[in-house]
Amino acid sequence: MIDVQGLRKTFKTVTALDGIEFEARDGEITGLIGPNGAGKTTALRILYTVMRPDSGQARIDGFDTVTQRQEVQRRIGVLPDTRGMYPRLTAREHVRYYGRLHGMGGKALENRVDELFASLGVDDFADRRAKGFSKGQSRKVSLARALVHEPQNLLLDEPTNGLDVGSSRAVHQLIRDWRDKGRCVLFCSHIMQEVAAISDRIVVLSLGRVVAQGTVDELLRQTGETDLENMFLAITQRAESW
Amino acid sequence: MWRRIFVVFAKEVMDNSRDRRSLLVALIYPLMGPLLLGLMISAVVEVVTVKTEARVTLPVLGAERAPEFVAYLEGRGITVTPAPEDTEAAVRDGELQTVVVFPEGFGELFRAGKTATIHVVSDSSNLPGLIALNRMAALLGEFNRQVWGQRIKALGVDIQILRPLMIKSIDVTKGGNIAQILLFMVPPLLIFNLFMGGVYLAIDTTSGERERGSLEPLLINPVERWGLMLGKYLAALLFTGIAVAVQLIAFKVVFQSAGGSGGFNFAEVFSAVTLLAIFAVTLPLMMVAVGVQFIIATVTRSFKEAQTYLGLLPLVPALPGMVLVFAPVKAQEWMMMIPTFSQTLLLGQFVRGDGVAFPDALISMASSMIAALVLIFIAARLYERENLIFGE
Repeated sequence: MIDVQGLRKTFKTVTALDGIEFEARDGEITGLIGPNGAGKTTALRILYTVMRPDSGQARIDGFDTVTQRQEVQRRIGVLPDTRGMYPRLTAREHVRYYGRLHGMGGKALENRVDELFASLGVDDFADRRAKGFSKGQSRKVSLARALVHEPQNLLLDEPTNGLDVGSSRAVHQLIRDWRDKGRCVLFCSHIMQEVAAISDRIVVLSLGRVVAQGTVDELLRQTGETDLENMFLAITQRAESW
Repeated sequence: MWRRIFVVFAKEVMDNSRDRRSLLVALIYPLMGPLLLGLMISAVVEVVTVKTEARVTLPVLGAERAPEFVAYLEGRGITVTPAPEDTEAAVRDGELQTVVVFPEGFGELFRAGKTATIHVVSDSSNLPGLIALNRMAALLGEFNRQVWGQRIKALGVDIQILRPLMIKSIDVTKGGNIAQILLFMVPPLLIFNLFMGGVYLAIDTTSGERERGSLEPLLINPVERWGLMLGKYLAALLFTGIAVAVQLIAFKVVFQSAGGSGGFNFAEVFSAVTLLAIFAVTLPLMMVAVGVQFIIATVTRSFKEAQTYLGLLPLVPALPGMVLVFAPVKAQEWMMMIPTFSQTLLLGQFVRGDGVAFPDALISMASSMIAALVLIFIAARLYERENLIFGE
């Protein structure tokens, strides 16, 4: 459960977030969409605790992302904007490292890694070093290390960016599975079709503001459009002409 | 918290022990100094031993013109050999170290009781040449005085009137061996290596981690940022410690094989106890070194930038030691307050076997430890900053 209220963030002269408010509920997939530079990544970065808002508040399961950083960190699994790997560590060592940083260990951790690798299809390269992994392989390992501690909330920044159709579909399936376990998924993307296809609710960001939110049908109705892309352009261009 | 710090530490140690470059810096670089010094010592020892202990031959041109001098030399166990006509070329080419030339007409002037000129040809730009020149000057001086004494005596004057001073120099160096000067090279080499040993880790785990993009996901784990920093710091400190230990052992091996010569026993320079004491005294400095590395690697924008600055860094603390090789100073208490300088002085005392004052060592260790803690605190503060993931 993610609750965002009046978040503002400025970098020198650029206002990245201008008082955004939205919520992402448990058992739902919330899609954060907006054109490049709308503030999606900044919003996520504040939620996953690597940035502090200038004002406003973000809470995850009721914990404040600034004052209760570690409580928040225990409850989120994140695919951040940058998701580099350690070229000299194997896939298994990556996930094990993150598990240990979450206080896991021993047989329980090994079992969890095996289970994740089986479901994500990492088994073939589980003990290979990350140097030379394909994009799809790295993405699977990044997701595995985000999920190792079974977080209640999943935050994904452009999770399918750069992946082929097959890998994208696998990621979508993973996101749905997570939702079906009653967890909260918030992901951002700039591709309208993707967001529309898997989100239960959509939050549209433009120029650091939330310009629309609701289900796909609601948004189509509000704009009077039938085509997703036209609807998206209608909403965001209206914002830009402000 | 400490368990998670250990998790970070263990990961960085494992990760970097798979890295050729980290291992090179920690295990191979430290051997360079001792090897170089070993070569220099054996070269010097050889020169000194040959010239002082073996029977000496002296090439002389025109020996037939000065039978008195030849007799004098042979009386001192020196064998006179003929020299080639072009003496200067022979010395310049290094074929001969030094040659004495008796020019034409020497015999007539000498026997007439006049001042006769002789030439000593030598090359003072190489060490054996310099040593040979010194010995030659001493021999000729003595011969001069002998002849002079005989001539004065023939006139019926007491020689002591003309010799108010009798100069005897007493050298207090242990063994009085020129090779000992090379021991002064040990402290700067150790300090340089100490600032080098963990540098690759410091860069790889901070600016390297940021550049790979693995820092952002790492920061999302439920570990305090100072904890992450400390785990990485300890890993770099371990590699620094390994580099210092490797170098100390290499020095010991080198000195042991140099053995004892010219009255100075190199084998005794590094006893096991001295090695441990040196390690203990330099440990706080290692903490300072890694602290500085972490701060620089954290505020620089990229791996390359960090590498540029940190590649130059070891030269700065090694510099005072380099100066001390040529201009030694007497250690004083206030000097013990200065990290790197105090260790340079203490290392010098250890290496030369001068005996280290315990309070001095204590002041040095305490002041460096305080400096290290301040640096660690600053590094931890830098880790708290939001733009850590982007670089300054």
